[in-house]
Amino acid sequence: MSKTNLLTVKDLSISFVSDGTTNAIIHSISYHLEPNEILGIVGESGSGKSVSSLAILGLLPKKISKITSGSILYDTKDLTQLSSKAFQQIRGKKIAMIFQEPMSSLNPSMRCGSQVEEVLKQHTSLSKKAIKAETLSLFEKVKLPDPNRVYNAYPHEISGGQKQRVMIAMAIACKPEILIADEPTTALDVTVQKDIIALLKELQTENNMSVIFITHDLALISEIADRVLVMYKGEIVEQNTVEHIFNTPAHDYTKALINSRPSLNVRLKTLPTISDVMNATVSTVELTPQMRADNHKILYNKPPLLEVKNVEKEYISTSGWFTKPTHFKAVDAVSFNIYEGETLGLVGESGCGKSTLGNTILQLDKATAGRILYQGVDITKLSASETKALRKDIQIIFQDPYSSLNPRIPVGKAIMEPMKVHGLYKNDAERKEKTIAILERVGLSEAYFNRYPHEFSGGQRQRIGIARTIALQPKLIVCDESVSALDISVQAQVLNLLNELKEKFNFTYLFISHDLAVVKYMSDQLLVMNAGKIEELDDADVIYNTPKKAYTKKLINAIPKGL
Amino acid sequence: MSTPSNSLSQLALQKFKKNFWGVFSLCFIIAVGIIAVFAYAFAPDNSQNANQMHVSIASKAPGFSTTMLVLPSQIEHHQNFVDALFFGEKNTTTEIPITSYSMTGNTIHYMEYASDGLIGLEKEVQVDPTMDPHSLIREQRFLLGTDKYGRDLLSRVLVGARISFSIGFVAVFISLVIGVFMGSISGYFGGKIDAFIMWIINVTWSIPTLLLVIAITLALGKGFWQVFIAVGLTMWVEVARVVRGQIISVKENQYVTAAKALGFSNFRIITKHILPNILAPIIVISAANFAAAILVESGLSFLGIGAQPPMASWGAMIKDHYNYIILGKPYLAIIPGLCIMFLVMAFMLVGNALRDALDVKA
Repeated sequence: MSKTNLLTVKDLSISFVSDGTTNAIIHSISYHLEPNEILGIVGESGSGKSVSSLAILGLLPKKISKITSGSILYDTKDLTQLSSKAFQQIRGKKIAMIFQEPMSSLNPSMRCGSQVEEVLKQHTSLSKKAIKAETLSLFEKVKLPDPNRVYNAYPHEISGGQKQRVMIAMAIACKPEILIADEPTTALDVTVQKDIIALLKELQTENNMSVIFITHDLALISEIADRVLVMYKGEIVEQNTVEHIFNTPAHDYTKALINSRPSLNVRLKTLPTISDVMNATVSTVELTPQMRADNHKILYNKPPLLEVKNVEKEYISTSGWFTKPTHFKAVDAVSFNIYEGETLGLVGESGCGKSTLGNTILQLDKATAGRILYQGVDITKLSASETKALRKDIQIIFQDPYSSLNPRIPVGKAIMEPMKVHGLYKNDAERKEKTIAILERVGLSEAYFNRYPHEFSGGQRQRIGIARTIALQPKLIVCDESVSALDISVQAQVLNLLNELKEKFNFTYLFISHDLAVVKYMSDQLLVMNAGKIEELDDADVIYNTPKKAYTKKLINAIPKGL
Repeated sequence: MSTPSNSLSQLALQKFKKNFWGVFSLCFIIAVGIIAVFAYAFAPDNSQNANQMHVSIASKAPGFSTTMLVLPSQIEHHQNFVDALFFGEKNTTTEIPITSYSMTGNTIHYMEYASDGLIGLEKEVQVDPTMDPHSLIREQRFLLGTDKYGRDLLSRVLVGARISFSIGFVAVFISLVIGVFMGSISGYFGGKIDAFIMWIINVTWSIPTLLLVIAITLALGKGFWQVFIAVGLTMWVEVARVVRGQIISVKENQYVTAAKALGFSNFRIITKHILPNILAPIIVISAANFAAAILVESGLSFLGIGAQPPMASWGAMIKDHYNYIILGKPYLAIIPGLCIMFLVMAFMLVGNALRDALDVKA
């Protein structure tokens, strides 16, 4: 290596202590950061990527974590041995950090301007006037529209992307040598993500700083990083330049990560999972456009299962006694059909009304106008008992596998409960038998029947959620961001499971997601929504290859393509 | 991970077991509970309400002992064993503290006890010839001294535990029934129902407990049952508010939406899916309410609108004796005061331990 390393992590091991037992989280990892480079760290949740970067800043929770061995060398100092007083000189000034959640990392009771000024006050000896000028120029640098307005605004008055820009402004305020960005764009929409990435890259070259960019998204990292570390279960399994990692991945795990994500070009019948790659049993059976077309011909000749006609959902907010109530149309005159056996993809950015639309179809929200016909019957005008009967036919799979299961009910009971309520099967013994069959169907076993949700991993919980949904043998299933909270490898497994179940039970899916790549992989037809309205509705491949609307084009361009 | 059930409640229990003060306080409460139930079996003075008075030995210090002449009652009450065990002996023997005695045949000559160095009256009494006169004389020790009517303070304290304990249970029970019901529908349905119930809550909250007790006493007459009801009726407000707040936050969880989407009825969702998940704060506030009810009852008894004499109640005992504090006999008021303090503190500690234990995040 010709250049001197800015930061050298050597044999670092970190353990967490809980109830007297020590759990090793990081197993002796070593890497270095060169000046003026962007280092990407990729890994799934629990791989230790965030923990290792918190250690650099000395931000690990003191009571429950311990650095068991190794050193972090920065500027001839070992950061693992530094006192907290000495750390304050480095944090923010030499090494800065951007967090994932811009919503919660800004103090909601302070104006954005003063939050940035605070950093400058702490680390520089500028006058008050100079600090304000500096802050405004920082806001300009991070391309905030109308810096003066943002300076005086509270965090809730600006958008998520703008908040992240304020966070970046705070981080680069003292011109740090190292910027650690921990999943800075995960909570943002793709179009915003693209802008933030571009901004980070620009700032990096401008200020000659080094960036450690942590993410779970391989495609995203390929667009920004110079070098990539792949972490898996607390170890670095591979580190190399971006080109090498993507073109000639050496480790099986890296290969699996790259392949698990639905490709935008070819449509595989089943997505390869990590175990597939490890066992070298990757199936490359493709679903050709011809097969799709044949299938579609059969699908779309039948009468539609669900017709949505001019549905509107309006929210009225009364903020004050004397102000006029404001009306907000979350869903605005939306019409489309869902045919039996198809998967209709619904894609859009956060706040476009896609979840509201899903809830309206499920009758969890009442539509304010329009009609929803299910098998020819208008379900917006049903009585309570008829609605209950309808619940059996239209079901939902939720986004968050952690909050969608009642923590106090064992999973077996949770799956049995809907059967009982709807009077399916004769007695509990029969229901239990069915439940076990369903558990096995989604890849779990009888042994899990009496377990509680907290004893399962995220992927397993999502399977249980799916099991509970299919327990009622519904016809139409609304998948509301069902795989968004899952890691890529788990996501592939769940997507495969959904497709498998669809084939077996002839389900119809309304697949809602913000992730165009996933939606495109799953869908027959694709619906693009923006600001409560339908932008485009056509075959998924047609939309992706020849988008007609500007918004769709923007959305497609914003997807990180990878190498 | 192989254990069949590892529910959150079991995890909480394991955590609770590790908390020394929580377990200790719980044991203390259970012990007090057993004592309260079997008070008459433990009490030296097992007459009804521990009401055996000996005016001549009024307000003696703890550990005081004297010779006692016990004359059986002339009136025979028929009372079975169980009744006597739980409600005290109705038979009232006459107990006379004496300083000395002599016997001639069936006649006992005795000198009555008199305090402060005075000489008591000499009297004699004829005893039933079938009885051995020696069996009528016994040495009696008052472990905690006597109150201003010469009653055994220990027995009064033991029997008084019943009131404190039962007011806790009854008031908490009433407050839970009303509070959970009101809080649930208010939090779950929201909107106009919520506004209406919140209005009731605010109105109820603004009525002082004391005023309500006086109002109920006026309507139903004096007594401890009225106090139970009044305390319960004022306490449900806090439960309702806690339940409402919890439900509002829990109902945002996806498993509640899931339950709705699965077509479960509102009743089922509230009872099976929401309430079990907000049990922790309900238990904690119940423990606090238990303690508060005990305090309110002693306060009311102190003011004379609680349990009525001769019923023993810790608050009433303080009331009877608080003026002795400056007369050099503070123990008469301090002993029941300490009892109240320990019981309330035990409940508070259990409540805290439960709060820590139930706060399990998997």
